[in-house]
Amino acid sequence: MKRYTIHKQKINDLIKTLLKKYRVIAPVEKNDIILFKQIERPDEIKLDFTNSKIPPKSIFLPQTETLFKFSTDKDIKLETPKNFEETALFGIRPCDAKSLDILKNVFSDEYEDNLFLSKLKNTLFIGLTCKDPPVNCFCTSVDGSPFGTAGLDILLTDIEDKYFVEIITKKGENLLKIFKDLKPVTKKDIEKKTTIAKNAENKIKRHMQTKNIEKILDQIFENNFWGEIAKRCVGCGICTYLCPTCHCFDIQDEKKGKHGARIRVWDSCMYSEYTKQASGYNPRPSQMNRIRNRIYHKFNYFPKNSQVFGCVGCGRCITECPVNIDIIETINDARQVKK
Amino acid sequence: MVVKIMSEKFEPNILAFLCNWCSYAGADLAGTSRIQYSPNVKIIRVMCSGRVNPVFILNALQNGIDGVLIGGCHPGECHYETGNYLARRRITILKKLLEYIGIDSRRIKLTWVSASEGQKFADVINEYTAEIKKIGPIKKIVRRNEW
Amino acid sequence: MVDTKKLKNEILKILEKKDVKHVICYTAGSYGFQTRPFFISKKEDIEKIIFSPLCLHNLSLYVNNNDEKKIGVVVKGCDSKSVVQLIQEKQLDRKKIIIIGIPCKGVIDPKKLREKISEPLEQVDVKEIKDKYIITFKDKKHEFNKKDLVFDKCLTCEHPTPIIYDVLIDEKIKPTGKEKYEQVKTFEKQTIDNKWKFWEEQFSKCIRCYACRNVCPICFCEECMAEQLNPQWLYRSVNISENTIWHIMRAFHLAGRCTGCGECERVCPMDIPLMLLNKKLEKEIKELYDYIPGTNPENIPLFAMYKPDDPGGDIK
Repeated sequence: MKRYTIHKQKINDLIKTLLKKYRVIAPVEKNDIILFKQIERPDEIKLDFTNSKIPPKSIFLPQTETLFKFSTDKDIKLETPKNFEETALFGIRPCDAKSLDILKNVFSDEYEDNLFLSKLKNTLFIGLTCKDPPVNCFCTSVDGSPFGTAGLDILLTDIEDKYFVEIITKKGENLLKIFKDLKPVTKKDIEKKTTIAKNAENKIKRHMQTKNIEKILDQIFENNFWGEIAKRCVGCGICTYLCPTCHCFDIQDEKKGKHGARIRVWDSCMYSEYTKQASGYNPRPSQMNRIRNRIYHKFNYFPKNSQVFGCVGCGRCITECPVNIDIIETINDARQVKK
Repeated sequence: MVVKIMSEKFEPNILAFLCNWCSYAGADLAGTSRIQYSPNVKIIRVMCSGRVNPVFILNALQNGIDGVLIGGCHPGECHYETGNYLARRRITILKKLLEYIGIDSRRIKLTWVSASEGQKFADVINEYTAEIKKIGPIKKIVRRNEW
Repeated sequence: MVDTKKLKNEILKILEKKDVKHVICYTAGSYGFQTRPFFISKKEDIEKIIFSPLCLHNLSLYVNNNDEKKIGVVVKGCDSKSVVQLIQEKQLDRKKIIIIGIPCKGVIDPKKLREKISEPLEQVDVKEIKDKYIITFKDKKHEFNKKDLVFDKCLTCEHPTPIIYDVLIDEKIKPTGKEKYEQVKTFEKQTIDNKWKFWEEQFSKCIRCYACRNVCPICFCEECMAEQLNPQWLYRSVNISENTIWHIMRAFHLAGRCTGCGECERVCPMDIPLMLLNKKLEKEIKELYDYIPGTNPENIPLFAMYKPDDPGGDIK
């Protein structure tokens, strides 16, 4: 890992350099909501933010994505979508970057989904560590950290007058070729960074007890603990749409006259049609089945299949749930359930 | 001169939901009487104007129809007694809603045409087509897909 | 402040009856300003019940007559109108619900509160003293004007006391506000293109999560038109055209039925001003047809009736 610093006044120059070579996507604020959007100028970026409303998964697994177009004018013609531009994703938080690593597992398991994977390959991930994690963050409980490097090529840490720059991957080293204003680190810089990182971790007050959670969940599948939580769930789908690791999708054909496309759209396991079969039978007929499925997917099935938690601890689902279904509380309470 | 040609280039797509007993019969009468009316209109026959679900109208506008006309029996003359009254309530509210969203509510028109009013039907179609021609093609909520 | 002891006693009395499945009430949330719906069926859980100005959910969403047993529900003024509307539409049997009414002095909008103080981990305590809220947590005490923190709907509330109930927990409250549709009237004055510009921006934010539909007590269709596949009215693509049609479709289906509880706007993760849309239709329907939803369980639905002299005299 190579380490440098960059003066805060030079950050705009860094962005301008990136803009010359890449399509730059960064956090932008509009009407009090932060979203990752493409920018044209450095002043559009808002770096003083906790996290974006919609996670950056929306760039790589867009809510609506064309798989192929078709037209039946004379013969049937199929057309595949254009390639993903070279992109620099600036300001992504370590939890969201880790989520993309987790999604990589999903989309390269038995079938390599190149539509998704090629986007990751064509993107330079420049992360920003969290100095002030908000109340519902719990990345440290799920093998993450406010200054974690998983899924990132470069990681920036705000050390007051400068940014501490860590070049993590070979792809990250490409930055050194186009931007020459990086200064070597001093001992003071390293100390500052270590202190800030430690403080950030200590600011995380909520902890999910994840030790052996897989085995504990194995034993309480039939318990009506899940029914009690599900009673208030309205099945709105906010938790799944705003979750950086949720990836359910539906495939639809849309057409107008002789032209159309097969598209992939986000779907949610919280909706009542989830797993509803054409016969009308639904193996997960009630909200209890669906909520239990989501928790198990993240803390039992994923660990079993991919040896990682299917959750990065960003806390969006807790903050946005209209009825305060709290995944930290759920898992911690699950440990107390009598088997 | 040039402007006139340009506006003449836009030929609106009008969709007319006509109730079987009154306005569809009126349209039929216009046809048998050889009364000319704008060919821009495509007609869908429904049993009663009260059958027209506002979702049909929205779907039509979304798919590029520039103006939707609903033809029913005169108030008090509905074959099913109350259908046209119910349609009147629904279309009034739908128009208010569209206007508030910023879509020209003249794109929906409710009209009463009886079975004997062949000339009136032709006049309504011609006037409505001219009105929509002036308003222009629908753009705001037209279905747009990245494909 | 509401007498929670009296509330708990009333709920205990109801639970004593053999034919009650559960009572839907509120309990504390897991952090900060959160509260949550609670389904109490065992008397041992009685101490978990709370009522505070942070209890913002419309619990009528959870009432249904699917069970043989009765269901109890705690309602504020606005929530009771939803119950009345559901009874009017034959979704609820009045004899099978036990309604505990709480006259409401206003509910805090957490979004407004978060602009003033960042949400802490510790659960906050809210005290209501005259026209101020005193919010304490840990060693910090904050004082705010009520009118700066309550939902917009509370500022113009015409039904603070539930209009339907079996037992009332507090003294009746006279309405302090009047719905004058100020925001709607201001918006109406804009040009048609500016109106579209505004809604185009708002609807572009929509992620079609359908949270607005799912938390609405009046949206009870088993298969929503948005999910119908045969015919498919709405594509699942998320773009301005489909989003606009979705919102128009939903607003229209709520016309004459929406009681203005504002839950849709509260839960929307993208802060779309849905009440600005629903209130417009509420105003039009009141002016055109002198019809107010959620006030009379004997009423006939708006679009199932007509008057021969309905407005629309300009239709030829």
